[in-house]
Amino acid sequence: MTFRRQALVILRRDLRIEGRTGEALLITLPFGLAALFLIPLALPLDTALLSRIGPGMFWAVTLLFGMFITFRQSAGESPAQHEQLRMLGVDPAARYTGRVIASTLLLIVFELVLAPTTILLFAPEPLDGWLWIVPLGVLVAIGLALIGTLVSDMTASLRGRSTLAPLLVAPLSIPLLVPAAQGLESIRTNNGILVPAMFMVLVVLALAVIGVMTAQPLEETT
Amino acid sequence: MKLRFALLGLATVGIAYGFSWALRMPADAVQGESARIISVHVPTAWLAFLAFGLTAVFGLAWLATKRSKLDHLAAASAEIGVLFTALALVTGMIWGKVTWGIAWDWGDARLASTAMMFFVYLGYLALRRATPDATQRARRSAILGAVGALQVPLVYFSVNIWRTLHQTQSVRPDGASMPTETLISMLVNLGAFTLLYLALLAWRTDQLRIEETYLAETSLAPNAGAAVIPPKLQPGS
Repeated sequence: MTFRRQALVILRRDLRIEGRTGEALLITLPFGLAALFLIPLALPLDTALLSRIGPGMFWAVTLLFGMFITFRQSAGESPAQHEQLRMLGVDPAARYTGRVIASTLLLIVFELVLAPTTILLFAPEPLDGWLWIVPLGVLVAIGLALIGTLVSDMTASLRGRSTLAPLLVAPLSIPLLVPAAQGLESIRTNNGILVPAMFMVLVVLALAVIGVMTAQPLEETT
Repeated sequence: MKLRFALLGLATVGIAYGFSWALRMPADAVQGESARIISVHVPTAWLAFLAFGLTAVFGLAWLATKRSKLDHLAAASAEIGVLFTALALVTGMIWGKVTWGIAWDWGDARLASTAMMFFVYLGYLALRRATPDATQRARRSAILGAVGALQVPLVYFSVNIWRTLHQTQSVRPDGASMPTETLISMLVNLGAFTLLYLALLAWRTDQLRIEETYLAETSLAPNAGAAVIPPKLQPGS
């Protein structure tokens, strides 16, 4: 079986499991939405302030809650499943790629629901080039999926995983959060998103190379 | 052991000499006396970069050779790096408070990215503590060390990439934009802190080796209650 086919099989498996369990879209997504509702309650009643911080809240909630999509339990493999994949000769890099693509797709759905909710709740000022948010959102989803899947494998079977994994992902995702926020600001000021988007592409490429290269040694930890 | 004490002694003398130069440098026209903190702030930040860079190098070397000493070196380097990062952050905040009027400015990309690097390596140390098996610990932390090292160039170039309050690099290949006394005190302290780093690295690496040997031996020993045989209940008794 080719690398591409192996990755596609893993991707299909992950999406099918998600379809059955609904862990990402029926549990994590409402959790993220609840966070968007909670934030204005913790702030003074100032519509202008909420309108100003809305886009930032969107990215913060995407990163902080989206990471749980990449750690979802339903995407994890039991030692027996893992052994079986290994015996079948599944390339660890293909396994990693398939899982990253599955998480990316789920994160994009997550963002697609969060974005209109943010607009409704925070009423940010309308943007002329709002379509440019799409590539930024996709890059954030890919980057977060790459980091989250890597950390998920790194912390597999550890006792403190549920707290350790977010501690690792949160600071590592800063190179995605900062340019994403700057990109939105650039759209608002009509400065173009080329610089932040290119920076994010570089970060995503570096993460992809590290993820694929470390898939083999990480497989030996599980 | 003699070499380590020699390194520590040289580091102490070097730091004292570096401070004497820091006291000799003229007060800055804008920042006043607070500018002297640069003689500690910049070397600690550079040492943090060096320590984290070497953590990645030792980790990757472990992946290639599986020699446990390399894993101990990587862990020790990360611990010392965290210490130097904390020092760089604290001295930077003191400087910021005096110069900008606030200790923490969110507009300062260098400050925020350094804090994030600090958290990445706190996570690195947490990952090590959470992994009981020595080989698994070495493997996982080697990979995280490699990913975490991506933050080092990001922090260094953050002042060029993002709009920031922090000044850009003062020492560049084309020269240094500071008085000679300041440059000397900074470079002397850089050398002294490097010696301190080497001494601490040697000590901590040994401690980690002893700790791992002790844990391996004690985990093989029978548990305290192993000699006690629980009573067996007979059916019908």
